[in-house]
Amino acid sequence: MLSVAEPVLAIDGVSYAYLDRFAALNDVSLVVHGGERVALLGANGCGKSTLLKVLAGLLFPDAGSFTAFGSEVTEAALEDEQFNRGFRSRVGFVFQNSDSQVFSATVRDELAFGPLNLGLAAAEVEERVRDTLSMLDIIDLADRAPYQLSGGQKKRVAIASVLIMNPEVLLFDEPTAALDPRTQQWLIELIAELHDAGKTIVMATHDLESIDHLADRCVVFGEDHRFVGAGTPRELLADGELMLAVNLIHERTHLHHPHPSSVPSQLDEPDLGAELAGHRVRWQDGAVQSP
Amino acid sequence: MTIDLDQVSADRTTATPAWLLQREIGLCPCGCIGVRSKKNFIDKTITGASSVIRHALFTDDIAAQPGLLQRIEPRAKAVTMFSFVVAVAFLRNIPVLLGACAAAVLIAAASQISVPYFIKRVWLFVPVFTGIVVIPAMFSFITPGHIVVPMGHWFGHRVGLTSQGLRAAGLVVTRVAASISFVVLLTLTTPWMRLLGALRAMFVPRMFILVLGMAYRYVFHLLGSVTDMYEARKARSANVDRSVTSGRLFVASTAGALFGKAHAMSEEVHQAMVSRGYSGQPRTLALRRIKPTDVVWMLVCAAAIVVMLGVDRAVGR
Repeated sequence: MLSVAEPVLAIDGVSYAYLDRFAALNDVSLVVHGGERVALLGANGCGKSTLLKVLAGLLFPDAGSFTAFGSEVTEAALEDEQFNRGFRSRVGFVFQNSDSQVFSATVRDELAFGPLNLGLAAAEVEERVRDTLSMLDIIDLADRAPYQLSGGQKKRVAIASVLIMNPEVLLFDEPTAALDPRTQQWLIELIAELHDAGKTIVMATHDLESIDHLADRCVVFGEDHRFVGAGTPRELLADGELMLAVNLIHERTHLHHPHPSSVPSQLDEPDLGAELAGHRVRWQDGAVQSP
Repeated sequence: MTIDLDQVSADRTTATPAWLLQREIGLCPCGCIGVRSKKNFIDKTITGASSVIRHALFTDDIAAQPGLLQRIEPRAKAVTMFSFVVAVAFLRNIPVLLGACAAAVLIAAASQISVPYFIKRVWLFVPVFTGIVVIPAMFSFITPGHIVVPMGHWFGHRVGLTSQGLRAAGLVVTRVAASISFVVLLTLTTPWMRLLGALRAMFVPRMFILVLGMAYRYVFHLLGSVTDMYEARKARSANVDRSVTSGRLFVASTAGALFGKAHAMSEEVHQAMVSRGYSGQPRTLALRRIKPTDVVWMLVCAAAIVVMLGVDRAVGR
C-alpha cells in the first residue's frame, strides 16, 4: 500500500466531450493521494460521473493527461495486457446503476468475474467469493439471479463484485443514491471501514447529509464542468454562497446534520452564518435554515 | 435535506398557469354511461410479459425444492435427460412410449413437481399442436391401409381413418410427449443459469453460454422497462382509445425508447466488464464436482434406457 502522502491518481487539464459536442469536463485538474477520501460534489450533469470513468480508465480525455500510480494511463497503454491487469486490479469502480454492473447469471458468478479475469486461480477465487459473501452478509443470495434482487441487494452485490478484487482505489458513483436509510447507513459504515483499512476512496455525490462521514476532502464542480472549489466537508458546507452558486443547495434548503455531536463547534453558534444573496442562513438545531 | 414548503409558496418565483391553480371538473366515475372495453393487443402483450417473469420465478421455486432431480448435478441431469430424449426417438411402440411418459410423471412426482401441473405443461400444448399437424396422416388418402373409421366416398374411393394412419399419428404424438416430458423435467428442476452452465459439459463454447446468460438476465430488465412504460401510459389514459393505430404508435415508440435504453445499458455493461479486467476472453468458475450419487443416477438411467430399448425390440412392430 502506498503512503498517504503519495499521489495515486492525478489528472491534469483534462477535458472531455461526448460525441465531440456535449462538454462534460472542462480543463479539470485533481490529485488524489493514497488513503484519502475525496468527494466530487456537483449538480446533475456537471461531469462527476464522467470524471470517475476517466479515473477508472473507461473514458479517455480529449485533452490533458491522466496518471495512475506514477504511469500515464492512455487507451494505448491499457492495450498492454500486463499494464491493463495491473491497473484494473488496483482501481475498482462501483457504478451508480447496479443493473449495469450486476450482469452475470448468478451472484456467485458475478463476484467471481473480476478475480477470474485478473487471472487468479479458481480455488482462490472460490475462497474469496465465500469470504466476500460472508463479509457483506449476502451468503443467502449466492445462487440467486440478479432479477430476483432488490435495489439494496443489487448495490451490495455490485460493491462485493469490486471489493473481491481488493483494489487500492475505490471509485463510487453516487453510492447512497436511491437507497433506503438502513442500506445508506450500512454503506457509509462500510466506506469508513474501507478507509480505515487504507483504501483510497473517490466518490461522486450530491448527498450533503452524509458527506461529513464519507469524505475528508471535497472538490466542487460548477455547472460549466470546471472545478470551482475545494476543501473539507465542513468548510464547504459553511460556504453557502458557493453551494448555492453550484446548485448543491437551494435558498430554502434545510440541511439537517445527521449526528448533532458531529456539528462543528463554531457552527453551534446560532448567529454564525453566511449572507446568501439576500437570504440569511444560520445553523440552528443542527440545520441550515433561512429564517 | 428538506425544502421549506411555506417559504416556497410565499416566495414562488416560477409562473404557474392559472388553469393549474383551479380545480378541474372531473368526469363522473359512476360508470352509468361507460362502456366496458376488452383488453387490446398491447394489454395482452404486457400481461404476457409479466407472466413470463412470474413463470420464471415459479420454476426457480420448483428448482429449489429438495426433490430427486434437484439433488442431481446439472451436468449429470442434462446428459441423462438428453439421453432419454435420444432413446425415445428410437422407440417404435406406442405402449413403450406411454411407459416412458409414465416414468417421467413418476420422476416429476419424486422431484416434488405437482403432477397436474406437469401433465398440463407436457400434454396441453405441444402434443395438441403436433396432433393437429399429424391429423392429415390419419386419413386414407395420405396413409393408405385398413379403414377403421369410414367417412364416405370421394371420387369412387372409400375415405376414412386408417389403422396405419392412426398408429403413425399416435406414434408421433406419444414420441413428442415423451421427449418433452424429459426436457420439461430438466428445465423445471434446474435453475436456468445452472442449466446454461451444464451446457459446457456438452462442449458448447463458453462465449456462447456467457452471451446466452446475459441475454436471459437482461430480458427481465427490459420486460420491467416495458411494463413501466405501459403502466405510465395507462395511468395517464383517461379516455379509452380503441384504435389500433394509436396502439401501433405506442408499440413503435416503446420499441424505439427501449432500443435507446438497451444501447446505453450495453455500453455501461461493457464498461463494467472492462473495469473488472475483461479483455475478450470469458472466464467462469469451475463446474462443481460429480458426486457418487450423480454417478449412481447416471448408471440407473443408462440401465433404464437399455431396458426401454430392449422391451421395444422384444415387443416388435
